[in-house]
Amino acid sequence: MKPDEIRVAVLRIEGTNCEDETVLAFKHLGVEAEAVHLKQFYSDSVPDRDRRSIWDYNCLVFPGGFSAGDYVRAGAIFSARLKSVLRRDLEEFIKMDFPVLGICNGFQILTELGVLPGFDEDRPISDKPEMALGINDSSRFECRPTFLRHENRGNCIFTTKLEKEIVSFPVAHAEGKVIFPKGKEDEYFDMLTENDQLVFRYVDAEGNYAGYPWNPNGSMFNIAGICNVKGNVFGLMPHPERVFWRYQHSDWNRGTKPEGAGDGRAIFESVIEYLKRL
Amino acid sequence: MLMRFRKVDVPFELYEIEILDASDEELEEISRELGLALSLDEMRRIKAYFEKQGRNPYDIELQSLAQAWSEHCCYKSSKYYLKQFLFGVDAEYVISAIKEDAGVVEFDENYAYVVALESHNHPSAIEPYGGAATGIGGILRDVLCMGAQPVALLDPLFFGEPDTSFEKLPKGTKHPLYLLSGVVAGIRDYGNRVGIPTVAGMVFFDEAYITNCLVNVGCVGIVRKDRIIHSRAGNAGDLFVLAGGATGRDGIHGVTFASAELDESSEEEARSAVQLGNPIMKEPLIHACLEIVEKSLLTGMKDLGGGGLSCVVGEMALAAGFGAEVWLEKVHLKEVGMSPWEIWVSESQERMMLTVHPKHVDEVLSIFAKWDVPAVVVGRVMDEKVLRVFYNGHKIYEMDIEFVSGGVEYCRPYVSKKPEVEGREEIRDIGKYEELLLAMLGHPNVASREWIVRQYDHEVRAATVIKPLQGMVNREGHGDAAVIKPLPNSWRGLALTADVNPWMAKIDPYWGTASSFDEMVRNLVAVGSIPHSFADCLNFGNPEKPERMGEFVESVKALGWMARGFALPCVSGNVSLYNETPHASVAPTPTLMGIGIVEDVRRAVTADFKKDGNAIVLIGETQPEFGGSLYSKVTGMKSSYVPRTSPERLKAYVKAMLEAFSSFKIHACHDLAEGGLAVAVAEMCIASGLGADLDLSSLDSQSFVKLFSESNTRWLVEVGSGDAEKLVEFFREGQLKAEIIGFVSGHELRVKDGKDGRKFIDVEIEKLDSAWRNGLARFLG
Repeated sequence: MKPDEIRVAVLRIEGTNCEDETVLAFKHLGVEAEAVHLKQFYSDSVPDRDRRSIWDYNCLVFPGGFSAGDYVRAGAIFSARLKSVLRRDLEEFIKMDFPVLGICNGFQILTELGVLPGFDEDRPISDKPEMALGINDSSRFECRPTFLRHENRGNCIFTTKLEKEIVSFPVAHAEGKVIFPKGKEDEYFDMLTENDQLVFRYVDAEGNYAGYPWNPNGSMFNIAGICNVKGNVFGLMPHPERVFWRYQHSDWNRGTKPEGAGDGRAIFESVIEYLKRL
Repeated sequence: MLMRFRKVDVPFELYEIEILDASDEELEEISRELGLALSLDEMRRIKAYFEKQGRNPYDIELQSLAQAWSEHCCYKSSKYYLKQFLFGVDAEYVISAIKEDAGVVEFDENYAYVVALESHNHPSAIEPYGGAATGIGGILRDVLCMGAQPVALLDPLFFGEPDTSFEKLPKGTKHPLYLLSGVVAGIRDYGNRVGIPTVAGMVFFDEAYITNCLVNVGCVGIVRKDRIIHSRAGNAGDLFVLAGGATGRDGIHGVTFASAELDESSEEEARSAVQLGNPIMKEPLIHACLEIVEKSLLTGMKDLGGGGLSCVVGEMALAAGFGAEVWLEKVHLKEVGMSPWEIWVSESQERMMLTVHPKHVDEVLSIFAKWDVPAVVVGRVMDEKVLRVFYNGHKIYEMDIEFVSGGVEYCRPYVSKKPEVEGREEIRDIGKYEELLLAMLGHPNVASREWIVRQYDHEVRAATVIKPLQGMVNREGHGDAAVIKPLPNSWRGLALTADVNPWMAKIDPYWGTASSFDEMVRNLVAVGSIPHSFADCLNFGNPEKPERMGEFVESVKALGWMARGFALPCVSGNVSLYNETPHASVAPTPTLMGIGIVEDVRRAVTADFKKDGNAIVLIGETQPEFGGSLYSKVTGMKSSYVPRTSPERLKAYVKAMLEAFSSFKIHACHDLAEGGLAVAVAEMCIASGLGADLDLSSLDSQSFVKLFSESNTRWLVEVGSGDAEKLVEFFREGQLKAEIIGFVSGHELRVKDGKDGRKFIDVEIEKLDSAWRNGLARFLG
């Protein structure tokens, strides 16, 4: 499609709070993006001019935040609401190869919803969650920069334009520890590797797998982000939209050009590139 | 006694209070019985007013006066001295100072920034989690009600010493570590959920805070100049729209409780005075209010804070020269069976009051509905300067608005102390510099705050350009100030810092406050920003005691002297008195929040060393000044001579520093504060992993003074070795002091002095790092 046909919806409910910077990341790259309240998809109380349909868009983003306060389990309430009003449409949307991105709380929502890990191409939303994002090993909310090794071999449409092997994105979450079903940990990991669904793993500054604080939450196999089997749904705990520019990196003034590209920009460039070819 | 309360014959709870024929003793009894915290004098004034009206007041009227006349709401003890010493520093870029809920200052041609700073001390001492969370909620509303988008939060916190033994805790007092973790969790859970980054603050431990922890919270917002909303009613005929959370019994008597000393029974009696926070109501409330501002659909806006509806309606109407009537049954409630007076004074959170022209009311209500925020019309602005309240058609309140909201004012007597006459001077050189440095780095007031700072989302909104932790990833150290880039399309930034030195202010309120001001300015300058404005939160003990009032007056005098001389306007403030119990009074704590303008955030500077071989230059003058110093604390040697400063000297150095930032490539800069030169250089090493080689023989003092004195108006600057001489020359041309004292080098800190060139510090950075990183963390796990 042409660049001016690209329409990105950044979905929000009460407590979503990273929608502005996420919208901005797309806008900086010249495509149309807007923050859309989930209500705008279904509620009768919304005035006509504010009503939307999922089919008005060709890319959906679930941004960071604390949707509905995350008092139950991170992402649980948002995903329950999605299930009740949007499940079938979303399944269709994914099957039609449109891209879906979940950042931080968005990753938690996609996991709760059963969209990730997304092993089954024909049933992109599983009936039950197949993995969880558990409470950090430190038992605390952690806001810190992390280093990620890009390990995808080309399946994930969100990292095709990523040139660096090691990038730095910050995390900010209390529940980001990737957990697979007990007894199936290795099986799941092998499946993700085989299907080319692994995207980012936490590493230290030298690029080696390491423990806390390099792996900020205790994630199994140091996993920070994965995609579904088709590569058009991507979820990650770190925030690429917070490092769109170099000056947003925590150590930018240790000898870099502040107005240059930040490590996160390539994520947004990749999905736009993909949409242009769709 | 009970017969003075006569139930009125209406289908709801309403009492008439018989005060017209009450004796002085009975007036005092009434004040106590109803929890009004009004003095006899104030009760007499009320009696005289109602004598003129020819009737007794209802309970709701007395309750309303108690709110409006509380220390918290009307600053009755502090106003006189604030006006005399502090207010009135003008700057042409100040749009609104002091008068409203937050200060408004020009940011650039089209935008203004909004500043607010407040205490939430009493609630946090009783219920740390809820108290701190609602403190954040309240300060966000103060910024929001000016029509501004909040962009950053700050949180200066003060607790008793972390190693206080449980046996030494006074009865009814909570342990400092329990309070600290509760307060941090409250700020974290509220700030992170509403999505406003917490970027700066401070944590200070001293035994003076054992029975009264202090929780100060600050917020900065950004607003288009043509969209600034004032905290006053628009026009007669406009409707009052109450939006946000439902009103409940939480937070009743919050302000009267905050305007008296706490004691061991406060826990039971005052729980209900602490409000309950709900960030997931606040988050959409912010969006909805800003959308209404954006569409210019309102004529005034103010948040419901202390005193709830009773204060907001009166203050909005009075400020605009109008009166108001309110229909109290319209207010949406959390629980049934609330008496009218409870609805009127409840401080339930997440509520905003708007005045709206009738033709825009439907649209305003539909915007709130879109965001799932309850909103109702509860009253009307009237020409007549009277405040009337109705409940289901019954008039239950009628008073002149100026009588209610005009407040009272006292000129309380005070005595000042003479620290040098009363105090002792025991400071001497005891050697052991390396050991002392390690002890200082590990002191809870200096050590790494990472355990706290990382729990706050300090970069949501993606606009925190200089973060609270800076340097090499996973080695980060503290910075002097955070820098926010509030507008996507401009490189202009805001530098933010919070400072006060309670150790110094405890010994000498005047010079301690002046030093705190100096430190605030130093921190702003260290990141390369131009000091632009400040806010103060003055936390003191019981003002009815002349010696406490003396501390307050000395502190305000010093603040006024520094602000006037330096020409830095005080744009917003808060006074918190009665931070005292029979066991202890807090140290005088004039918390300052400084705001600087960074003309281009790409030129902002951090404190971590950058490159081996660069020169280290000390700017400023070092004197033997140890009153309230860390040296005095860790050695146990007393000193009453608190470091001096002057606005003229500070101004001269700041001007030169800012010029140096534009003419030289400054790689790093850090101010000298607790622990002096030694701690400052160690912090610059720790955050970078780089060492330093220092030779202090060019300075003119004893070695321990050079290392540990806390003289004001000093910075350490890292420049390329080729620039160092020129930089020093530049300062000397302006009759200012600057010395090259060494170079960034290796991975050890080495310091020598004197002709013999003996090294008295030679320590690996790793060792400094571990002392500093564990100093506070060891208490927190």
